[in-house]
Amino acid sequence: MGFLPTFGPAELLSQLIVGLSRAMILFVVCAGLSFVLGVLRVPNIAHGSLYMIGAFATYSFSKSLTGSAGFWLALLLAPLVVAFISLVAERALFRHLYQREHLMLLLFTFALALILGDLVKIVWGAEYRSVAAPDLLKGSISMLGSSFPRYNLFLIFIGLLVAIALWLFVNKTKMGKISRAAAVDRDMVGLLGINVSWVFAGAFVIGCCLAGLGGALVAPTVSITLGMDHTLIIEAFLIVTIGGLGNMWGALAGSLIFGVTQSLGVLFFPQFAIVFPYAAVVIVLLLRPKGLLKSVW
Amino acid sequence: MKRIVTMKGLALLAVLLAAFLFFHPSGVKAQAPIKVGIIDTYTGPPTAYTYDVRDAFKLAIDEVNTKGGVLGRKIEFTTRDDKFKVDLALSMAKELVMNEKVDILMGTINSAGTLAVSEFCKVEKIPFLVTFSKSDKITGEKGHRYVFSITENTVMIGKAAAAGLSKRPFLKYWIAGDDYEYGHALADGVWGNLKKIKPKVELIGQSWWKVGEPDLTPYLTAISAAKPDAVIFATGAASMVNAMKVAKATGFAEKIPMFIHTATELATLAPLGPEAPEKIIGTSNYHFYYPATPKNKAFAKAFRDAYGRYPKVGALYGYLTAQFIAKALEKAGKMDREKFIDVLEGMKIDSPVGEVEMRAYDHQAMLPMFMAVTKKVPTYSFLIASDIVTIPAKEVMPGIEEIKKARGQ
Repeated sequence: MGFLPTFGPAELLSQLIVGLSRAMILFVVCAGLSFVLGVLRVPNIAHGSLYMIGAFATYSFSKSLTGSAGFWLALLLAPLVVAFISLVAERALFRHLYQREHLMLLLFTFALALILGDLVKIVWGAEYRSVAAPDLLKGSISMLGSSFPRYNLFLIFIGLLVAIALWLFVNKTKMGKISRAAAVDRDMVGLLGINVSWVFAGAFVIGCCLAGLGGALVAPTVSITLGMDHTLIIEAFLIVTIGGLGNMWGALAGSLIFGVTQSLGVLFFPQFAIVFPYAAVVIVLLLRPKGLLKSVW
Repeated sequence: MKRIVTMKGLALLAVLLAAFLFFHPSGVKAQAPIKVGIIDTYTGPPTAYTYDVRDAFKLAIDEVNTKGGVLGRKIEFTTRDDKFKVDLALSMAKELVMNEKVDILMGTINSAGTLAVSEFCKVEKIPFLVTFSKSDKITGEKGHRYVFSITENTVMIGKAAAAGLSKRPFLKYWIAGDDYEYGHALADGVWGNLKKIKPKVELIGQSWWKVGEPDLTPYLTAISAAKPDAVIFATGAASMVNAMKVAKATGFAEKIPMFIHTATELATLAPLGPEAPEKIIGTSNYHFYYPATPKNKAFAKAFRDAYGRYPKVGALYGYLTAQFIAKALEKAGKMDREKFIDVLEGMKIDSPVGEVEMRAYDHQAMLPMFMAVTKKVPTYSFLIASDIVTIPAKEVMPGIEEIKKARGQ
């Protein structure tokens, strides 16, 4: 039984690209989780459920129109559906709980995750769902004798776009600046006459919207199923922890480490591939217990 | 005058008699029903399978009951959700026996839960009919007088896959799968048997991912770099759909032949719709369109009329279980647990997939397996199994010697 498969630079490159594309989906979701953690100090376990709702909503919207148009519509609308759900949740529930201790918030968001999970089952049923990639992004491109899916290249592109948009939002817009300030000292922001309550609502909705976008983006590459929320939320918390809680660029670094160690691990040691991303997490936390980048906590 | 009194008296008597017949409990009402308890997972992803078991079981029981039931008694059933948890499955089984006083138990989709309930039934002497768990321990190593399996197990899957694959020209194989008991048991089953039938085959590598791994792209691209002749996938349901999607998107499916147990099954192909890759080799116990016998057509139609969807493999297991229970009760002549087991051993029923025998020695239902490849057809909005080869039950059943050995006899 061969232990190390033989591969050349082409396989290495294609594996790297596949890893990057996975990292980008993780980044989109984790950036939202990290943003909410940073600004609101809420460890939102229900973030994974919003991601799942995003994926299921993508399924429904993409069925509403024939052909590829359905998917593009879904990519636009699914995050908005999730944003709306999170707005309702924030106004009705979360805003009364910000002052509570973290353990209470953990329990609350965990309960919310279970409720949302059951709601998904009521609305969409227990069957596996699948969304087709749009025609434009179907199939694969061969490069240097090795092929990789077009859709994964698109994911890398979208991931970069989201990163740039977030950077612009946080650094160049008033809302972004207030969010950052509120993350550091929310009382001071309130004293300056800014309605902190609505800043928080806005930040929460933006964070959750990213979960919905992540769900929409992942839809064509996986089977959409109940339980996809649990798998993701564990990875997402690991990533924001190694990146530095509340630090969006930390989320990017964490996602890259997670995605790339996994895909390269698969290539070198396929039998032990599961271990690599987690081993990377352990190493990072041993060297930098507070995460790679500065945590706002 | 006297005559009128008599008339009045007669009328009164008639009214009283009618009232007596109407209200008296034993006059028109049949005897107490025979109770079956179902423990299964009714939350989360396994429901994609368990709902079909329950619904087809109900369909068959309703048929029996509209004909007056068995032994003049109706069959009733109660369900309990074990939430895919072993301890819950066991406590639900106890509750059904103690409180609901069920005569027969059936379920579950979780192998560990099934083995726990099976132990309980062995002690309490309750007949237990297993509907979906695939562990070969159920009727093998841990088999006993009170447990029956009405579904395939990992040994049967392995033998069927090996029989089918050995006829194909592949020599260099790769194994990939979900890193849990079912995945490894499946892989060992297929590989051990294939190596026995065709010693020339060579395993050039393996990849194992964690259960629920969302993106299998890196695994498939790595496998394709190693260029095996064929890949054996040992996956549960969700990963299977993922594997097929990625196989299509990366062009893997066109380059390297893939075998996935149940790839040709409706539960896998329906969610993928027209996006499923063609030419994936799969095995399954059931297709609603094959065999095209009147019995199968009638069953598929009845199921579709009742529930508005096509029956999947779970529906066959549920239906068969009901058929076995009804026929065994009929033959036993009364609800006697020991008698029920005696007559169930070696019983043959005429099922949608032909005659199925309950093997007397190990209580394993002898189900045929169908090997096929996925194919696009204009008739349905999803791919179907084509070039179906039936691997008869005799070829897939574990040998009785092996079972004796596993049981330490």
